[in-house]
Amino acid sequence: MTRASVVGVGMTKFGTHDITLAELFAEAALPALDDAGVGRGDVDALYFGNTLGGMTENDTHLAPKVATHTGFGRIPAQRFEDACATSTNAFKHAVQAVENGIHDVVLVGGVEKCTPVTGIDTPEMTRIFVSAADRQYEQPTGITFPGVFALMTKRHMEQYGTTEEQLAEIAVKNHAHGTHNPRAHFGKDTSIEAVLDSPLVVDPFHLMDCCPFSDGGSAAVVVSDEYADSFDAPVDVTGLGHGTDLVPVSDKADPLATQAARDAAERAYDQAGITAGEVDFCEVHDCFTGAEVLATEALGFVEDGEGGPAAAAGRTALGGDIPVNPSGGLKAKGHPIGATGTAQIVELTEQLRDEAGDRQVESPSVGLAHNLGGDTGSAFVTTMEERA
Amino acid sequence: MSVETYLEDGELTHRAWSAALREDVLLGERCADCDHVTAAPKAACARCGSQDTAVIELQTEGTVYAETTVFVAPAAFSDAEPYGVALIDIGDARIMAHIDGDAAVGDAVAFRGTVEQDDSPAPLFGPADD
Repeated sequence: MTRASVVGVGMTKFGTHDITLAELFAEAALPALDDAGVGRGDVDALYFGNTLGGMTENDTHLAPKVATHTGFGRIPAQRFEDACATSTNAFKHAVQAVENGIHDVVLVGGVEKCTPVTGIDTPEMTRIFVSAADRQYEQPTGITFPGVFALMTKRHMEQYGTTEEQLAEIAVKNHAHGTHNPRAHFGKDTSIEAVLDSPLVVDPFHLMDCCPFSDGGSAAVVVSDEYADSFDAPVDVTGLGHGTDLVPVSDKADPLATQAARDAAERAYDQAGITAGEVDFCEVHDCFTGAEVLATEALGFVEDGEGGPAAAAGRTALGGDIPVNPSGGLKAKGHPIGATGTAQIVELTEQLRDEAGDRQVESPSVGLAHNLGGDTGSAFVTTMEERA
Repeated sequence: MSVETYLEDGELTHRAWSAALREDVLLGERCADCDHVTAAPKAACARCGSQDTAVIELQTEGTVYAETTVFVAPAAFSDAEPYGVALIDIGDARIMAHIDGDAAVGDAVAFRGTVEQDDSPAPLFGPADD
């Protein structure tokens, strides 16, 4: 069932941008409006995501600020924060708003700056990133954000035999996809050897197993099902599931299950009336190579424990059974936290319009986006389909 | 000393949990309804929502569920040599702890005291046979 439609998308190149958050967001939002062919007067509300601005730049109350900067100063504007799942939560609320007749046209998007243009060095940014982990019962142990996923991945390696080489295959695959994406932070190929020879960040993750600190913005124009017919190239949102799991990790019943993602996927598949087997490609939250293993298992594309071997066999590459992260994913495209969720929506939209150039999946009908927040405590799964 | 002496108005607040930890007493809560044991005290059981939870002293020996070595550390730890962090199964509870020495998945480890960051303590575990 169609819950809402995306009729316009825009995003900046992900990488380094030494401009303000509002300026960066405008570089995604205004092209999204142009893509949809809507004017400022047509937009009823702004649903906006940013995660770190309060900590990194002493910049909060950002929704009215970016609304003003982009010329929307008087429409209702709200900001969301759910760690790395920030802008998919904004998107969820935009979908619900048009689905329920509250608004006809909503601009949704996110922006983030994480690179040294913030004036923040790696140890301090590492401290800021781990703010998403439990403040009292995890942060004092010295855990880092990559460390949370490293714990899950090390356990996966022990339990299922996943290898460092299989993890490296995922980095190599996503870098290869990223070479076809002009907006990717990393547009260069890498190799198994280069990944395994890169410095350890947190065992088993080498630097090249990790997504980069990125700056960037992304945006989409969301309209109701009925309203969508008056646009040139609507892409339908057929399912959008939201799951939550316990924080801290130690209270989760099975950390390897990423249960929030399984719950979100079940809800999305149920709304869309599809199974995992009907998905033609997906964008998943590969903040670290191990996270992509957990994602492909949670979404039902492979059996539990098979995520590593499936990647190594090429099943998740462009041209494989289920292409995963044709955009290059967080690993190669980049991960400006609050912009990541809607950037996945941008990729789904362009792929389903057959506008993805050299990274185009062959004639896809159904795309899926999987966006995690924090230690997998938040998860959103979105299914989108070309309009019949 | 009994567990009750650490509580604040009968509650295991984070301050009370920290005060006990600094005296080498590891406290948690057991749910009377679903038996979930947490090492991170809460207002209600995280698994079932019951408010019928009892403060208990946790076991001080356990088995490593997952472990990692941190090479790129947050600011407060960035002067340290690479260090271990683990999830440890202690009886019916699981706890995240800083690791002193080497510990792999399945290894027996024991509670050794605390590390401190920004005035917050974290449990420190090390190999059980040291």
